[in-house]
Amino acid sequence: MSGPRVGVAMKWVPLRVEVDPLTGAVAADPRSSGASGADLAALEWGLRLAEAWGGEVLVASAGPTEADGLLREALAAGAARAVRCELPAGAPGVLPAGAPSELVAAALAAAFAGVAVVVCGDWSLDRGSGSVPAFLAARLGAAQALGLVALWPEAPGVVRAERRLDLGRREVLRVRAPAVLSVEGATAHLRRASLPAMLRARDAAVEHLPAPVPDPVAAGIPEPPGPIRRGPYRPRPRVLPGPDPGASARERILALTGAETGRTPPQTVRLDPGPAADRVLAQLRTWGYLE
Amino acid sequence: MAETVPSLLAQGAAATRAAAHLPPAAHLPPAAHLPSVAHLPPAAHLPLAAHLPLAAHLPPAAQSADATQSATRPAAEGFDVVVVGAGPAGSAAALTLARAGVRVCLVERGPFPGAKNMYGGVLYGRVLDGLLPGWWQEAPVQRWVTRRATMVVTPTQSLTVDFRTTAWGEPPYNGATVYRSDLDAWLAAKAEAAGAVLLCSTTVTGLTRGPTGQVTGVRTDRPDGDLPARVVVACDGVNSLLAKEAGLYRHPEPEHFTLGVKEVLALPRQDIEARFGLAGREGTDIEILGCTGDVPGGGFLYTNLDTIAVGVVLQLPGLASSGRRPEELIAGLKAHPAVAPLVVGGQLKEYSAHLIPEGGWDMLPDLAADGLLVAGDAAALCLATGIWLEGVNYAIASGAAAGEAAAAALASGDTSAAGLAGYRHRLESSFVLADFKRLRRAPGLVLSERVQRRYPQIACNLVERLFTVDNPNPKPRLLAAGRAELRRSAVRARDLARDAWTALRAFG
Ligand SMILES: Cc1cc2nc3c(=O)[nH]c(=O)nc-3n(C[C@H](O)[C@H](O)[C@H](O)COP(=O)(O)OP(=O)(O)OC[C@H]3O[C@@H](n4cnc5c(N)ncnc54)[C@H](O)[C@@H]3O)c2cc1C
Repeated sequence: MSGPRVGVAMKWVPLRVEVDPLTGAVAADPRSSGASGADLAALEWGLRLAEAWGGEVLVASAGPTEADGLLREALAAGAARAVRCELPAGAPGVLPAGAPSELVAAALAAAFAGVAVVVCGDWSLDRGSGSVPAFLAARLGAAQALGLVALWPEAPGVVRAERRLDLGRREVLRVRAPAVLSVEGATAHLRRASLPAMLRARDAAVEHLPAPVPDPVAAGIPEPPGPIRRGPYRPRPRVLPGPDPGASARERILALTGAETGRTPPQTVRLDPGPAADRVLAQLRTWGYLE
Repeated sequence: MAETVPSLLAQGAAATRAAAHLPPAAHLPPAAHLPSVAHLPPAAHLPLAAHLPLAAHLPPAAQSADATQSATRPAAEGFDVVVVGAGPAGSAAALTLARAGVRVCLVERGPFPGAKNMYGGVLYGRVLDGLLPGWWQEAPVQRWVTRRATMVVTPTQSLTVDFRTTAWGEPPYNGATVYRSDLDAWLAAKAEAAGAVLLCSTTVTGLTRGPTGQVTGVRTDRPDGDLPARVVVACDGVNSLLAKEAGLYRHPEPEHFTLGVKEVLALPRQDIEARFGLAGREGTDIEILGCTGDVPGGGFLYTNLDTIAVGVVLQLPGLASSGRRPEELIAGLKAHPAVAPLVVGGQLKEYSAHLIPEGGWDMLPDLAADGLLVAGDAAALCLATGIWLEGVNYAIASGAAAGEAAAAALASGDTSAAGLAGYRHRLESSFVLADFKRLRRAPGLVLSERVQRRYPQIACNLVERLFTVDNPNPKPRLLAAGRAELRRSAVRARDLARDAWTALRAFG
């Protein structure tokens, strides 16, 4: 293998959790933990890039010993090396909030030193913020292209990548190594490992990398101003147009519920494909999407 | 990195997932002006092929499922035995084989043993005494069954024979409630520790055969997925694809199957203990007859630490012809006046359904073919007789017997059906086939219309009559009351006598 090395970062997360409806306590069964769809997609893209470039894949995970199982599955799928990076002692585990992205990125960066392109899932299942790839890029001094929906390898170390933008637009980028890419989960299905590879991977060695010297602040990343606020998890905000705050309570409720406002009732239409496409376009035009 | 990153993809945390806040690509300077991350025309302008995922652009070899595998490499490393299915039967078989020094691979389609199984059940652990001495010290037990009840119900009445003993709450224990995902994982780990190779997330899709038709291994759903072995032990559960493919079933009639439908309801531990009169790790197992309306079947209810399992088993043809839905029947059972106070307030944690081979002796398939043994539910070794619903213990026993027989056949160098015949002898000389033979008439009796509906009605009415105090009338006489109830139920004395005789032969 003489081509550039491709890194893939995978996080060991609970795929199914139980939440106590009264206390909000979250319990996870380690047996049903593994890689999220986005990380599996990242591995698949990593393998495809390495195949196209004649390189090999190094997969790494910063997590507990159980993550070794996940890394072995990656080896069975075709990764050449697997590294489990220790997090600094005392770093929080996978739940409830996961280790801080800076720590995870610092641990992973040690494993990915010298790797041309690192592919990550866009965010982890356990309330991930999607920031690990960005921190990792900063650590590695690499370009970053995040939230990608498709990749095409070009010359070794060069990737053409497509990214979703607002209003249904797409952006196509050309990214050169060193780079960190993060991909959405639905963009690729991890190939099924062969039976001999599965059996071999059972005993395959997973390298362990000790935790890096505690240095939570990545080079080049400014210290956050003031103390970091700690509080319960809140989903990321989305901008939603609310009713006029100056209106009365009744008017605001009416505005929110849409009661007493005229609306186009849903319709079911059965059309042949051609007229159906015309109809969809006409409706999109009515709604102003095709202006 | 030779070139700097353009502002669009600025470095560092601030740029994380910045795409949504950026102007559309069309507003950016032309690609030629950009350094290392260049902008190409928007995807919509690319030729169609450019939108295809990468695999479509690669030569066929690169698209193969495992690029690290060479086509010329021999399939999997050799195993003497492949055990299919890491349920209780499969793990017991693999454990026995591994202990005998046989190279054994235990193949399970779920991501871990027990992943495909339903939440819980009752384990009668005596069968483990020989296999894992002192098992109770480490088995993943929820509660020890110290209270065993059989309840017959009509829509408005219930009559329960309720037995409890403290003896079952002490070693060596009689029965335990367990979560199947825990039990199966624990048993499989024992097999692994003994040397078996556990292969999960791998579905066996068929048998491979040699020139004379003998089984030579299995085919799996993985690329390069043939797994050769000198003996295959099929423990793949009630729908056993392998036993069917091998033609071992001669009578797969639908009336031999029931559908087990179960809800697991979460309740605080102290509520369970108060409702069922339990303390510490004590547990209750209630089997229920007459609760499935016009569908032949039965019901059950048992306690875990902080959940209870309640469910029905429904005979397939009866279910089909009734037009009823299983969830309707569970809802009916939960609403029954005798059951409702026990389950009220339970939060639904799991709803699941699974077939049960309930035909007993009459349903048993051939247990061996050349290179193949079949055990557990795959061999229909599940006993359901109204007062007993046991499958896990028969699965463990038959799996272990299959393991011993396969090891003996390998040692003697004869893995033909004749060489594997020791399996049946082992089962015949154990409780497994002894129970099935003795209770061969029980399934038919228990699922009969009289046992399902008339006798529960007679019993409940009789007891109601006996316990109703309607002074100034004198107390009823038991025999007279019984005769009156029989007359009212229109059960003929001849049928009653025949059923009593059958019951005596089966259970006596
Ligand atoms: C609702 C209900 C309640 C029950 N309650 C009790 C009870 O209280 N006590 C009791 O003793 N018994 C009970 N039983 C019966 C008991 O569950 C079964 O008899 C027992 O599980 C049989 O064990 P087994 O190992 O033969 O099969 P299973 O437990 O069915 O295990 C089969 C295994 O094979 C795997 N498998 C299947 N096909 C393939 C394939 N092609 N490739 C790879 N793997 C495969 C499955 O994933 C599974 O892990 C109950 C059954 C039901 C449905």
